[in-house]
Amino acid sequence: MTYMDIRALILVNRTIEELADLTPLSALPSALLEVAGKTSLQRTLERLHQFGIPPATVISDCDFLVPAPTNGDGANYLITARERFWRAAESAFNELVQDGAELVLVLPLGGYAEIDVEKLVQFHFGQQARVSQVCTASQPLPVFCISASRRNDAASLFRSQLSKCRSECPMFLHTGYFNPLADARDLRQLAIDILTLKTQTKPSGIEVRPGVWIELGATIEKGARVLAPAFIGAFAKIRTHAVITRCSSVEHHAQIDCGTVCENSTVLPYCVIGAGLDLAHSVVGAGVLANLHRDVTVEIADPKLVGYIPAAAGHRLLNAALELTAYLPKQVWQGLFGKSEPQPDLRTALHQTSPSLGSAAGYETPACDADAAEKFPSDLAVLRRYGHQ
Amino acid sequence: MDTNSRPVVVKRTPERLNARTAREFLREVQPLFTMDRPQIVFDLSQVKQLDASGVEMLLRCMSEAHKRDGDLKLATLSAQAAVVLELTRTERLFEIYETSTDAVRSFSGFLPNAMRQQLLHRKPSTAPWAA
Repeated sequence: MTYMDIRALILVNRTIEELADLTPLSALPSALLEVAGKTSLQRTLERLHQFGIPPATVISDCDFLVPAPTNGDGANYLITARERFWRAAESAFNELVQDGAELVLVLPLGGYAEIDVEKLVQFHFGQQARVSQVCTASQPLPVFCISASRRNDAASLFRSQLSKCRSECPMFLHTGYFNPLADARDLRQLAIDILTLKTQTKPSGIEVRPGVWIELGATIEKGARVLAPAFIGAFAKIRTHAVITRCSSVEHHAQIDCGTVCENSTVLPYCVIGAGLDLAHSVVGAGVLANLHRDVTVEIADPKLVGYIPAAAGHRLLNAALELTAYLPKQVWQGLFGKSEPQPDLRTALHQTSPSLGSAAGYETPACDADAAEKFPSDLAVLRRYGHQ
Repeated sequence: MDTNSRPVVVKRTPERLNARTAREFLREVQPLFTMDRPQIVFDLSQVKQLDASGVEMLLRCMSEAHKRDGDLKLATLSAQAAVVLELTRTERLFEIYETSTDAVRSFSGFLPNAMRQQLLHRKPSTAPWAA
C-alpha cells in the first residue's frame, strides 16, 4: 500500500488580512486572533494533522507569529518581508516539491474554512486537473490544490497573488463550515459556532460542565456565574458576582470585574472589563468596543470601563506588584479605622449602576441579563443535547 | 423653546465628555439647575467620547433636576454615547428621545408617549386635554 505525499502551504499575509475590518479591535491579523482559545491558524493546522498531512509550512509577513520551537505544533514557520512574500511562497512550494510532495494545498488564512481534504483530493484527481480551486455556494475561496509537477501553474498563481490561474481551474464545492472573519460580527459568529458545536473544531480547554469550557489557570471567583455555553481562557479572571452567559468567550488573560454581565460577547486576550458593567452583543479589544447590535465600533479611553493589561509577563508582574503596594496600605487603614460593609449579594450587584461611576454608583438599574443569574443557581448543571448523544 | 408656559432649555454637550470637560460642562450648566422645576434637554449628537466621569456628570445633572422637581432628558444620542450608556447600565435611568424636538415636546404634559404621539397628529380643538 502506497501513500500519497500531500503537503500544505499556509499563507498569513497582510494583503489578505487588510481586507478584514478587524484592525481597530486588535493589531493582530484575524488568522492570529484567538477565538475560544485557539487561533484559526492553530485550528487549521490541527485539522490538517487529522487528515494525516505532515506538518505544514506557514509563511507570514508579520512578526506576530511565534517561532516554531515555542509553538509546539511542528509547523515550519517562515517569516518574510512583505514585498518578498509571494516570491517566498513560490520558493516554499518548490522546496516542498523537491522534498517529494505530490500534491500541495495552498491555504491563505483570512477566514476559517473546514475543508474536507480527502474529498478535495479525490475531486482533484477525478477532474485530472493541474490546479483545483475551492468555492462555496456563493463565492470562490482562494484555496487551491496544486499538482506538484505543475510548477509553472503554481508560479503564475503565486505571481498573480492567487488571483489568476494559468490553466483551467475546476471548482470544488465546499459545503462545510466557512467563516470569512472579515469583521467583528464574523469573529463573534465563529465563537458562537464553536461553542454551540456547529463546527468540527471544539473550544480549547476542559469541559467542566456541559457547554462550559475552561482552560488551565483561569480563575473564577466565588459568587461568579458561568452559564453554558461559555468559554474562559487560560489565566482569565472572572471576579465575584460577574455573570458570563449566552455563548460568551473570555479569552486568555482577560478579566471581567465584579458584578459585570457579559452576554453574547467576546473579550479578546489581555482586555479588562470594569466593574458593574453590562457588556452585551459586543467584541472587546484593547480600548475598543464593537457593538454588534448598533453596528458601531467605539474607542473607550477610560480604563474603569475597558482597559487592558500588558502582554509581556514582566510588565504584568510589575503592574501586579504596584497594585499590591497600593492595595495593602488601603486595606490596613480600612481594617483599623474603616466601617465593615457587608458584601452585596448577586442580585444587588446586578441591579445597580457601576461602582466606577463614583458618586453616581449604586442607582437602581438592573443588568440586561440579571434574570439569567437568578434563574440558574450556580450549583445547577445546565444540560444540552449533543447531536446523537 | 417654550412649552406648557415654562421654558425648556436644550443644551448641546461637547464632543468629549471626560473628567476635565465634564467638570467644565457641569460648571456651565449649573445655573440652569437653580431655577424652579428646571426642564432641560441635553443633545448628545456631537459626543464622540464619553467615559465614566461623563456618565457620572449626566446622572448628577439628572439628580439636581429631580431635586428641584424638574427633569433632564437626553436626545439625539450619538452611537458612541448610546454604547457607553448601555455599557454602564444607565440608559434605563434617562428618558431618551430621537430628536431634541421630541424631547422638548415630551415636557408638554404628563401623557404617556403613545397618547402624546396621537395628540401631536390631531388638531388642537379636537384634543380637550391640550394645554
